[in-house]
Amino acid sequence: MEQPERKKLKPTYQPAPGLPPLPAGWTEHTAPTGHKYYYNAATQQSTYTRPAAPLPSHSPSPAPAPYSAPGYGAEYQHQAYQGGFGGNGQQYPYAAPAGAQGFQGNHFQSWNEGQRKPFHRPRPEDRPKHKKVIPNCAPWVLIYTKLGRRFVHNTETQESYWKFPEDVMKAVIEFDRLKLDQKLGKQGGEGTGANNVPVKQNDRRRRSASLQREDEEALAAELAAAEQEHEVRPAATTAVGGKATSEAPGGEDEGSSSEYEEIEVTDDEEEENDAHRERQAGESGSAAPEGPVEFNEEDIAYQLAQMEESYGLDPGEYGGGEEYEEGAEGLPLTEEDSAALFKDMLDDFHINPYTPWEKLIEDGYIIEDDRYTVLTTMKARRECYDVWSRERIADLKAARAKMEKQDPRIPYLAFLAEKVTPKLYWPEFKRKFKKEPELRDTKLPDKDKEKLYREHVARMKLPQSQLRSDLAALMKSLPIHVLNKDVNVEQLPKEMLVDVRYISLEAKVRDPLIRAYLDTLPPKPEGGETAEEAAEKEKKNKDREKREAAMRERERRVEEEKRKRERDQRIGMAQMRERERELEQAMRVGRGGLRAQLEGDNDAPSDANGAANGSA
Amino acid sequence: MPPLRTARNRKPPPEGFDDIEDTLLEFANKMKDAENASHEGKKKHEMVWPVFQITHQRSRYIYDLYYEKEAISRQLYDWLLKNGYADANLIAKWKKQGYEKLCCLRCIQTKETNFNSTCICRVPKDQLKEDQGQYQGQSATDEPEYDTSGAMGNMAFQVLGEGLFTYFAVDWECKTAEQGWGN
Repeated sequence: MEQPERKKLKPTYQPAPGLPPLPAGWTEHTAPTGHKYYYNAATQQSTYTRPAAPLPSHSPSPAPAPYSAPGYGAEYQHQAYQGGFGGNGQQYPYAAPAGAQGFQGNHFQSWNEGQRKPFHRPRPEDRPKHKKVIPNCAPWVLIYTKLGRRFVHNTETQESYWKFPEDVMKAVIEFDRLKLDQKLGKQGGEGTGANNVPVKQNDRRRRSASLQREDEEALAAELAAAEQEHEVRPAATTAVGGKATSEAPGGEDEGSSSEYEEIEVTDDEEEENDAHRERQAGESGSAAPEGPVEFNEEDIAYQLAQMEESYGLDPGEYGGGEEYEEGAEGLPLTEEDSAALFKDMLDDFHINPYTPWEKLIEDGYIIEDDRYTVLTTMKARRECYDVWSRERIADLKAARAKMEKQDPRIPYLAFLAEKVTPKLYWPEFKRKFKKEPELRDTKLPDKDKEKLYREHVARMKLPQSQLRSDLAALMKSLPIHVLNKDVNVEQLPKEMLVDVRYISLEAKVRDPLIRAYLDTLPPKPEGGETAEEAAEKEKKNKDREKREAAMRERERRVEEEKRKRERDQRIGMAQMRERERELEQAMRVGRGGLRAQLEGDNDAPSDANGAANGSA
Repeated sequence: MPPLRTARNRKPPPEGFDDIEDTLLEFANKMKDAENASHEGKKKHEMVWPVFQITHQRSRYIYDLYYEKEAISRQLYDWLLKNGYADANLIAKWKKQGYEKLCCLRCIQTKETNFNSTCICRVPKDQLKEDQGQYQGQSATDEPEYDTSGAMGNMAFQVLGEGLFTYFAVDWECKTAEQGWGN
């Protein structure tokens, strides 16, 4: 099988220093399994045994690897290609797939003078994916690769080009247009067969004349662009065509790596029409310069760096942080800062300070947080947590001491007022409502509950007048600073709520009574409040006055501003009117021309004078 | 007949119990799970390791709350001890020098061992010889598993994260004295 492109592929591999050098024409490669094998491009033989220095004309290869191309990537490509297209034994020249392989890491790879960049990412391989028959261009097919590139392949001459020959390009442009049309037609709901050429042709026939005209214009433009590339293309063809002659069989291993040029093809270029691709001559053949892909330490380091970037970590944040000097994570945090950050995080997560530390770690919410890592050791975190929880617990205690405790009798009595009937004895009542939280509450002992219940039930049998007088007595007994005119019926003082006399009357009878009584009371005495309360109140009042004064001042200023603006506006209007009047007068040029007007001007004052005289 | 003390007529726990009730409930649930866990494929003593571990953790929790963080009142602490939430004897040992991180009382119970020695977990790590404290037949690269038949030193080595040991982080390794370490 003819494979002229292979000549373009030069291994950069240098044989290990310990081993005898390979004879001319032989190159060493690494198989996917990791085995080394040797390949003679001239004789197209491959062998696992290292050929001896005297060049064997026929190598006794125990396992002649049927590699049609050096580099296992190429092997894969070849297989995939054949499998995908029916495996008809037809072999595509290596150029195109290899070229495709060469274009993968497109954005950042650059092979300058055969120099490897210190890091390069192992690139995904490109391979042919599907092919399309180019209509009206018989032996040529358009082949799309996995990475979305495409090249043309001649099935008869076994030639492949990234850069389309001119006649092929025309056909391809036509083909593209067909496809576009078809897509449009499909959107309109007419086409179903996506890639069928006949359908496309039908579509084409259906196209409107105007569309056709546009297309022709586009075609003309494209052709013009193609013409510009015309100078470049022959070089490509000669490169492809002259492969067989350009390289002697023995020249490969000696070929300096400076011959390899990497042509950068970005995805953006792919978006454009392929005809406009800037391709250097010979790119198709030279595009697989790396030979056997080796995965060495540099690559690993590079990959690590990449991963690190993608995780958004600074060096030093993940394992092995000791290797990095301090400050690799950016601005150094002081210990207090990091502790404060950690505490902030704990606050933000509303961690219960009574939680044991390892429970916190097991739950693991905080581990997700960035601030978790500001403290680098587990011990430091634990200590910080201990300090924090101590503080928080102390705060909680202080807050609780300040907060007045709710009397457990209040909810219980409210519950009694709602549920009690005189028909039930205490044990029955208790049994009936044992699930209720008011009865389960252990803060109020059972004895008290029973006592309150009995008292309440006993009072239910009393006449209403008695109950009213009892309530009045209760209210009268309360001092004025507890019960006064300012008290709301909904927010009665605790002393009243815990008394059984309060709940003895029904709410709808009781509340008007209480309201009436409260109205008779004087307002809350000033002396009753403590000095600091008074001070606080005064301060509040002062603040309020200040605010109001400021507000008034601001309003006054705004008012003034407004007035001023209005006045200005009025003046402006008056001036404008004046000017308008003058203009109008000036425009009143009659038949008599300027003279008449001037005379008229002269007349007008006289008229005015006359009028004045007349009136006088 | 003495009056029955049920959940409803008992005295309420002292102030502050509400704060730690949830955590204690979790410990209780864990303990229940450990007690009801299957014994399939476990060594005779392995069954009780988690029980000792949870007991230790719970005691330590209460100890820390009272002595370190001063988060609970004396009344509540006493009430917790009285109601079996913490092991008073173990806590008593923690107050002594040299026993601050004692994992369980059994590890210092010399009378139960053949050579009247303590558990291997009482030996500082730097005084241990190369292979001591490691389960025999276990390669060094494997997950550390410590033979603590007769003790529960394994509980100290529930590695939760890198460098993180359990709550109490005992630095010693546990091994039975029966295996002849005493000599």
